[in-house]
Amino acid sequence: MQTNLKVIGDTKKSFVTGNEAVTWAALAAGAEMMFGYPITPQNEVMHYWTRLAPKYGRGFLQTEDEISAGFTVCGAVQAGTKAFTATAGPGNVLMQEPFGMAEAMRLPLFAVIQQRGGPSSGTVIYSQQEVTLTTYGGNGEGHRIVYSTATHQEIYDYTIKGFNVAWKYRFPTFLLGDGYQAKMREPLEMYDPQERGIEIVPTYPLIGLDGHIGENREPQHLCNIYSLEEELYEVVMRFAEEYESISPELVEYREEQCDDADIIILSHGVVSRAADDAVKALRAQGIKAGSFRPITLRPFPQAQLREAIAKSGAKKILIAESAYGQLDRLTKQEIYGETIKIENLFKPGVGIIDYDIVSKVKSIL
Amino acid sequence: MALVKIALAGEGGQGVQSVAEILAEAAYDEGKQTIYIPNFGLEQRGGVSIAFIQASDERIGAPKFNKADVVIALSERAVSRTAIYSDSNTLFVYDAGFKVEDEDFPKEYKQIIGLPALETANKELHPRVFNIIIMGAVIGLTNVVNFESAKNALENKLGHKFEKNPELRDLNFRALEMGKQMAERSLKEGGAK
Repeated sequence: MQTNLKVIGDTKKSFVTGNEAVTWAALAAGAEMMFGYPITPQNEVMHYWTRLAPKYGRGFLQTEDEISAGFTVCGAVQAGTKAFTATAGPGNVLMQEPFGMAEAMRLPLFAVIQQRGGPSSGTVIYSQQEVTLTTYGGNGEGHRIVYSTATHQEIYDYTIKGFNVAWKYRFPTFLLGDGYQAKMREPLEMYDPQERGIEIVPTYPLIGLDGHIGENREPQHLCNIYSLEEELYEVVMRFAEEYESISPELVEYREEQCDDADIIILSHGVVSRAADDAVKALRAQGIKAGSFRPITLRPFPQAQLREAIAKSGAKKILIAESAYGQLDRLTKQEIYGETIKIENLFKPGVGIIDYDIVSKVKSIL
Repeated sequence: MALVKIALAGEGGQGVQSVAEILAEAAYDEGKQTIYIPNFGLEQRGGVSIAFIQASDERIGAPKFNKADVVIALSERAVSRTAIYSDSNTLFVYDAGFKVEDEDFPKEYKQIIGLPALETANKELHPRVFNIIIMGAVIGLTNVVNFESAKNALENKLGHKFEKNPELRDLNFRALEMGKQMAERSLKEGGAK
């Protein structure tokens, strides 16, 4: 396959859906292959990809289901192909099997998740109910990198980054969006990553390598079957140590006006847009509010959040999410030991606007 | 321009989403921050199709909103379906030809406006441009985009059809203009339920 890398020439503004943003970014990042299975609200990633991929010498395969889509990505990346998938809801549930495999074999898998409302057939629209699933799903330890985006620009930026991070660190990497982000149109600036000085991390095969094990190269150890418990233990412990050692360079977050905040609004993804507006509105009314937003849900910016709590002297954190406590649980385990009071605004499956947050803050301050 | 929030609702096939998309494109082309999101759930299959549009000079927060500045209901059942988006700051617009029970109208509104859009489309223009009249009305009510941008956006969207049949261009532009005037008139008159 002749891959044409030049996708975006000059930087251009566009008015597109989030799913289109994913597709263009994946093309610009040099993704060679998408494996997928239809599921709303991510369908258009596949649609746009199948329309555009042939023009740039990229490939696509619709597999028989999501389990297969995930595993074909696992296979392709072992051959050194920059492959990805995109899914949502029940597809994300099914893909936990291959995602767990990618985790345990340290495969540079990249997947886009557009959250919808659970259970499988729940809603096809929107939620933030796939946080636990995407960060800690599967029978593994959650050695994953998860970016939760809030704007189309971030979808574009973090899709490019996601591929790079996956191939640099070899931990499965996720872009966690949602149905609103997938389907809405908003302005986006598309650019060629290399023109911006973003180096594209080269891909490399993990199997079929030259040389002979024991003579001139080490074995790859892409193991997924262990005869002894101790073997598994050793591997997981080593991965845990590596994951923890790279976490400080991976964590990303955004903090607004926490320095003197009496209350910190904690949210992620699209809800953080409402949180920012709420901070503005509250400040205008003389209420000292700040906001903290983890961009990486895994690894979680726990040191930075602890620091924000310490320096602000805030009395309360308000956790706002379109789920019933998934970010809340994640946060509490990460900042264990802090004594700040944690309040919540849980709206599972529906959007949160600034008004909701402002009202809640006023009711608890 | 301060944030403008618009909810457009109607039946599948009425062109609600097309109009919303063209309006949003026009706002985007003017350099405004713009968000357009359809309701794309199962409700759309057999339910009321709703488009949520926001435009502003500043960055826009949440993609959906609780209350709109303008709600436009393009079918009888869309009136009751969209009543929840109306509050005391909302212009609530419907077609004057609809038979709507009093209890289906929103309880809170700034003004309820019945526009003769269907009648104008059917008698003076063509039934197909009903949605374009509505698009013109949105502009007349909100100034969310200027008239020229709207015409350009229409041209971008339907240009290929206009090329084949230039009369369509004239028809659409007239519909846009009549919608705008209709809305401006109703604002002046204060509207009536």
